[in-house]
Amino acid sequence: MSSLSGLRVADFCWVGAGSFATKILADAGADVIKIESQASLDGLRLAAPFAGGVRGVNRSGYFADRNSSKRSITINLKTVEGRELAQRLVAVSDVITNNFTPGVMERFGLGYDAVREVNPQAIYLAMSMQGDDGPARDYLGYGITIGALTGFQYLTGAPGRVPIGTNTNYPDHIPNPAHAAFAVLAALRHRRRTGEGQYIDLAQTESTIAVLGPAMIEAALALTDGADEPARPGDAGGPVANAHRWRAPHGVYQCAGEDRWVAVSVHDEGQWSALREVLRLEPGALEPGWDTMAGRHRDRERLDELIAAAVRDRDARAVTSALLGAGVPCAPVQDAREVVADPQLAWRGHWARPPHAEMGESLYNMPPYRLSATPVTIRSAAPRLGQHTEEICRDVLGLADAEIERLRAGGVLS
Amino acid sequence: MIAPPPGPLAGLRVLELSGLLGHYCGKLFADLGADVVLVEPPDGTPLRREPPFTGEGDRSESIPFLYMNTNKRSLCLDLDQPGDAATLRELAWRADLVIESERPGVQERRGLGWAALSSRRPGLVLTSITPFGQDGPYAGLDGDDLIASALGGLLYLGGYAGGEPIRPAGEQAVLAAGLFGAVAAMLALTHAELTGQGQHVDVSMMEAVVMGLENAAQLYDLEGVVRHRNGGVQRLAGTGVFACADGLVCLLATGFGGTQHWTKLVAWLEAETGTELPRFRDPRWSRTEFLLTGAAKAEFSEFFAGFCATRAQRDLYHRAQSWRVPLCPVAAPRDVMSDEQLIFRGYFAEVTGADGSGLKMPGAPYRLSRTPWSIRRPAPRLGEHSGEVLAEITPGVAS
Repeated sequence: MSSLSGLRVADFCWVGAGSFATKILADAGADVIKIESQASLDGLRLAAPFAGGVRGVNRSGYFADRNSSKRSITINLKTVEGRELAQRLVAVSDVITNNFTPGVMERFGLGYDAVREVNPQAIYLAMSMQGDDGPARDYLGYGITIGALTGFQYLTGAPGRVPIGTNTNYPDHIPNPAHAAFAVLAALRHRRRTGEGQYIDLAQTESTIAVLGPAMIEAALALTDGADEPARPGDAGGPVANAHRWRAPHGVYQCAGEDRWVAVSVHDEGQWSALREVLRLEPGALEPGWDTMAGRHRDRERLDELIAAAVRDRDARAVTSALLGAGVPCAPVQDAREVVADPQLAWRGHWARPPHAEMGESLYNMPPYRLSATPVTIRSAAPRLGQHTEEICRDVLGLADAEIERLRAGGVLS
Repeated sequence: MIAPPPGPLAGLRVLELSGLLGHYCGKLFADLGADVVLVEPPDGTPLRREPPFTGEGDRSESIPFLYMNTNKRSLCLDLDQPGDAATLRELAWRADLVIESERPGVQERRGLGWAALSSRRPGLVLTSITPFGQDGPYAGLDGDDLIASALGGLLYLGGYAGGEPIRPAGEQAVLAAGLFGAVAAMLALTHAELTGQGQHVDVSMMEAVVMGLENAAQLYDLEGVVRHRNGGVQRLAGTGVFACADGLVCLLATGFGGTQHWTKLVAWLEAETGTELPRFRDPRWSRTEFLLTGAAKAEFSEFFAGFCATRAQRDLYHRAQSWRVPLCPVAAPRDVMSDEQLIFRGYFAEVTGADGSGLKMPGAPYRLSRTPWSIRRPAPRLGEHSGEVLAEITPGVAS
C-alpha cells in the first residue's frame, strides 16, 4: 500500500524543480501523468548523461532520475483539440502542477480560473521563478540564476574570491521540490477535511530564500544598525569556505592521492584531544589557548595548516578510520563513484535500478526516507516520451480507439 | 489585528523533541497551522546557543533559533528522567506526529521508542531524522552538516576548479533533512488520516544530501565519468559570472533551452550598444562544441565583460530580463532584503522578539490561497508554555 494511491496528478512540469517535486508524489504512489510534447520537448530529455553515451529523448539519466514512477502522454497544446484534451485531463485530476512563467497555462486554457470552473476541488500548484505578481513576475531563470538572485551563490565560496555557489542548480534539487511537495500534501489535507481545493503560488526564489533564513535576518539587522557600506565578496557576511561560525577545527584537509580529502568537524574538547593524539600533532606546535573552542576558532587558520600537514601524506580512508575510532567526527569527501558504491546507501537501498526499455537498468535515487507501513518505491523507470498516451486516452479520458487514432493522425497526440 | 485564517494543518498536534535536525521540519508544520510543541531539556535546545545573536547581553537571542522555531510552543522536560519521559508518553498518546532526531536507540532506552509511543496510539506518526538513518553500518556514527555533505557527495562538487571542496552556505544538509522529513511525515499523516494506521518514518540526512547531486551519480553510472568541481571557470561561452560596475551578474544564455537565449542575448546587446554584432550572429555560436573552446569563451568574455563594466547590477538585470535573457544579479543578503519584487509581494515577515524589537525574516515559501502560511507567534522562551501544555493532559482540566 502507498500513501498516495488513488491520487491523480496532471503534471505540466518540466526541466528541474517541478519534475523533482512530482517525483516525490509519484514514488509515494500517486498516478502522475506527465503531459509532454514533441513540439516543445522537456529540455532535460536531452541533458547528459545518456545511456551508453548515446544521445536520445529516451536516454537521459538526468531526466530519468527525476521522472521515476510517472506516466507520459504527448499532447500538442498548440492545437485546439490538444488543449481540449488537456482540459479534460485536468477536470479529472486531483492535483495540477506546472513550473512555467505566469500566463503560459492561461494561454492554453489551463489557468487556475478555468480549472476551478470544472474542478473546484483541484489543488493547483504553480512554481514560477518569482511568483504570480510583482514587477519581476515575467522574469525567467534556472536553478543557477535563482541561486544567484537569492544570495545562495554570494554566500558560498572562499573569502575574497568571486563566489561560486554549489556549482549545481541546487534550488532545483532540494528546497524547491521539497517545499512544493509539502505544500501540496498540506493542501490535500485541507481538502480532505473541507472538500475545498486551492491555488498554490510557489515562487522558486522565495522558497530558496527560506533555506537561508539566518543569513537574511542577520543582513536585515546589519542594515538596521546603519552598516550601509555595500557588502561585497571578501567583506564580513560574505563566503567563508568551510569555516564554522564558532567551532574549530572544521574543514577539509587534503590527503595522499589525487583529489582525496578528509572532512573533520570537532565539537568538543574530548574530540580535540583525540584528534591531537591520532594525528600526533607536536605539542610544541600547539598554543595553550587552543584548549578552548574560542581559542581554536580564533587561530583556526594556523590550526588548519597543522592538520593539513599531518594528513598530507596519509590515505584519506585510513585517516578517517583512525579518527572515527577515537570518536572524532570525520568522513572522506566522497566523489560520485564513491557515493554510488557507498555501503550505507547500499544497506539502505538508496539506489534503485528499474528496467527501462531503451536504457536498460540505470541508477535512480530513492526518496531519502523509509516509511514502515506505506513504503515509497520506484514503481517504474521514467516513461519514454508518450509511452502511455494510448492507455491514458482510453482509461482516463474515456476515448474510443477510433477517436484516439483520429487524434493521432491529426498530430494532436504528438 | 485580525487573526489570520487557520492554516491547512490546523488541529494537527505535533511534538518536536529537541534536536538540530528536527527544527526546520517542525517549523514547516507550525507555520501552516499545526500546534507544534518543542520539547526542550532544562538548559534549552542547543540551537538557542548557536550564533549569530540578535545583539549583546541577556536579552540577546540566537538568530537561527528564532528563525527555526516560529509558531511553536515550548515545554521543558528532562527526558532522561523517568517521570518526565512518562509525561512525554502521555502527550504522545494524544499527538498526531512526534519528530525526534536522537541517535538510533536513545529514545528506546528512554522508553520513548516507536513501540512505546504507538502502543496506545496506533495512528501516531513517529518521524526520526538522523544523520544516516535508523540502520546500516553508519547508523551509530556522529554526523553533522559537514560530515553528511562529505559522505553524500555534494561537498566534492562544491569549490573552485583545482581547489578544496567547499560546502554550501547555510547548513544545507541539516535543512534538507528537515525538509524531506516534513514531506515524509506528511505522507505518513496522509495515510494515518485516511486509515487510522500510524507508522515510523526514518529519514537520513546523508540521503537527503544525495538528492542534490544533480546528474553526478548518473553521469558516473551511465558514462563512467566522475564529475569534478568547476567553480570559477566559464563552462561555456555565453554563461558565467561577470563583474559589473557595482557587483557581479550571473548569465546563463547557453547550455539550456536550445539557442533561444543566445539569440535574445545578441538582440539585447545590439539594441543596448546601438551596433550590429554580426560576429555573434554567426551560426557557430549555436554549436556547443564551439562554445566550449577557449577561443569562443575569450571572445565572448572580452566583449561582455567590457559591456558589463560600466553598467550597474540592477540595470543589467532588468534590461536583460526585459529582453528575455536569463541574467540575474549575484545578490548579497542585503540586496535580497531590499529586492523590489520580494517587497512588492510582501515576502518578508516581521516578527516581534522577546525584547519587543522587530525582526525581519524570510516569509512564506509558498502561498496557499485559502489556507495561508502565517506567523502567529514568535519562537518561544524556554518552557514558556510548560504550564498550559501539561494542563492539557492533567485529568479534570479542560483542554
